Parts: sequence; C-alpha cells; structure tokens
Amino acid sequence: MKHAFSTTNRAALALFIVAGLALVPLAQAAGSRGGGHGGGVHAGGGAKSKPQVNHSRTDKRTNNVRSTSVNSVNVNKNVNVNVDNNRGCCNNGWDNDYHPIATAAAVTATVAVTSAIVGSIVNAPPPGCVPVNYGGYIYQQCGSTWYQPQGTQYVVIAPPY
Amino acid sequence: MNKRLWCAMLGLLLAGPAAQAQTAAPAAAVANPVDAASVQALKDMGAHLQSLKRFRVSTELSGERVLTDGQKLTHSANATMDVARPDRLRATMRSPRSQRVLYFDGTNATLYTPALKVYSTVEVNDTLAGLVEKLENRFGIEVPLSDLFVWGTPAAPLDKIDSAMNAGQDFIGDELCDHYAFRQGQVDWQIWISTGPKPLPRKVVITNRADEARPQSVSLISWNLNPGFNDAVFRFVPPKGATQAQIVAPKTK
Repeated sequence: MKHAFSTTNRAALALFIVAGLALVPLAQAAGSRGGGHGGGVHAGGGAKSKPQVNHSRTDKRTNNVRSTSVNSVNVNKNVNVNVDNNRGCCNNGWDNDYHPIATAAAVTATVAVTSAIVGSIVNAPPPGCVPVNYGGYIYQQCGSTWYQPQGTQYVVIAPPY
Repeated sequence: MNKRLWCAMLGLLLAGPAAQAQTAAPAAAVANPVDAASVQALKDMGAHLQSLKRFRVSTELSGERVLTDGQKLTHSANATMDVARPDRLRATMRSPRSQRVLYFDGTNATLYTPALKVYSTVEVNDTLAGLVEKLENRFGIEVPLSDLFVWGTPAAPLDKIDSAMNAGQDFIGDELCDHYAFRQGQVDWQIWISTGPKPLPRKVVITNRADEARPQSVSLISWNLNPGFNDAVFRFVPPKGATQAQIVAPKTK
C-alpha cells in the first residue's frame, strides 16, 4: 500500500509536468485544425451518421487520474483478488477507454527520448507505424513513439508499456 | 408559544444526541453479518443464469474515476451481447473513444475496432467462463458483464463474503426486484435481482473502498431471452481492407 502511494505521487508529479509541456502542441494543433476538420475525414465503416467525439477541448487535468481509483465494473473481478491478475497493469476495464496521455513510470524517460511530443495531435500517424492491441485497445506504434486514436485524429502518448 | 414550551423543546434538542448515541451502540454489533438468505439468492440467480442457453443482454454503465485532488469524473459506456452457451459470444462495446466488437465462436476470439478496421485474433478453445478468464489474465481484456458467466460457477465463490443483507425491494424499470448488499474486503457491492422463479440481475453497483473517494460504478442490465440471432453472428469475417494488429500480453509495471 505504501509503495503504491509513493508510485502514485511520482506519477502524479510526472503527469503534471507532462500536462504543462503538452499545452503548447495541443494549442497549436487546435489552431491549425480549424480548416482541416471540416473535411469530414471518417476512418472506415462502423458508425454512420453518428457525430464524432471531439476531445480537443478536454481539460488536461482530466488526465490526473489516481491509480487507486481504478474501479472494475465486474463484481467477481473485484472480489476475487488474485495475485496474478493484471489490474495493476493497464486499467483494462471494458468501459475504460480512458488512457492517460502519459501513464505512470514511463513518463520521464519518454519526454527525454521521444521526438514527437507527448500530447501533440496529428491527423494521421507517420508511414511505417504498426497497429498494436494492448489491453484491448488499438494503438499505432512508430518506433518509440505511440499514437492513440482520438476521434478522426491521433494523439501522441507515452508508451502504454 | 410560551416560555415553558420553549424550555421543553430546548431540553429535547439537547437530549437528542445523547439519546441517539445510546441507541446506536447496540445496533453496531450484529451477531452474524452474513445473512444466509441473501447468499442463497445469489446462488439461485447463478443457477438460473447458467441454465440460460441463448440470450441477448445489454448494459448501460456509469463509472467513476478519481483525480489526484479527489475530484470525481463520471464516464458512460454501454454494451450489447449475444450469447449462446456454452461457447458463443458477440459483444459490442461502446464508449466515447471507441466502439469495439468481440467475437467468440468457441475456437477463436477476435477483437475488432470498426472505426480503424483493425482486428486481433487469439485462439481460445474454451467455454465462456474460460474465455473471460483467459482474455483477462493473458491479454488484459475485460469482457463486459463477465459476472454473468462466472456467477453460478466455482469461479464466483460465496464463502468469502464479510457481510450480506437484504436491502428491501425496488423497481428497476417496471420489474420488481429484491435488493441485496454485500461487503467483501475493500469492495461493497449491491445487486437488484428480479423477483419470482426466474431471478435475473437487473442492476449492479460496485463501490471501491480502497480509495477514500469511494469511486462507484452503476450497471443497468436488460434482457431478451428470445433473441432472433443465428450462429453466424459469432463468427468474425475480416471486412475488406481490414488489418490485423499484434496483441501484446500485459506487462507488469
């Protein structure tokens, strides 16, 4: 428990730093997007006339989720506390499509080595990226840079693992 | 109002807290906190769930996340599942950032993200309970309403309940339900089970006491026991242009 808390605090601090760094590219992305977005780039089938979710105005504070608050929505997953389950790993509830832009430990390293800044938004990942399914969600991995789909766009995230 | 009445009322007000304290003490100690009939209700529901061969079930969910400063955010998601026991499932999961479909035909499990046209397939030769366990432990993927496949099996033991009580009756939609409340370790949970000879879960609330903000999830569950689907819905056929994503086993941090 004590260990978990200290990790949380470190993660929180790191997230805070990253959130600050991310402000600039996000603001740029929001500004430059105005024209492009109207083009109606819809990636593939599925939802037909359903409006696209747009997270570009989401407050960065929403990323500061504390790890102790991960709440499974299945009773038996909660109560059969099992040492080898993966609850600590990826917050992988089926409802939890929330993936922090930067997750815990990886943060500091990522900021230093990644060329694309965590939190920045692109219309499409660069060529040569591969889709990876981690914890049930699809990411685009391009070397050490990871992109998470967000509406019709992609946001650079810290590696999920 | 005269002065004497005022004095009497003041006296009552002052005496109030003391009187409450006296009555509160004995109420705290319950001889056996685990009400056997409430546990039996879970058993009966589990047995009935395991007896259902084909059904469509859907859930509307509200869940909570806690920010570092204690502020809570509520998110929404929903899922619809077509099920044929013992080993067929199709689950469509919708949340703000993605819609995903899980196909399971008794041999292969495929998770497909239509908006990206990306799918991942793994071999799972097992029942639905086995699917739940394998996807969770090997790949970190949670099946919606996985409890439905676990209740009534040894994977949902009923001997580790710290407290169980009948919380009365309630309507979920138009259906009369028995309401039960349980405590297990750091988890408090409640369930609303339809009354009568065919008990089905209609609502589940889970409260996480491990976090002082006590994040909670609320799942409303609706049933169709005469669904129109055929077995083709469980088989995944990659749409034209779909690509396959490597699936990575969860890493422990």
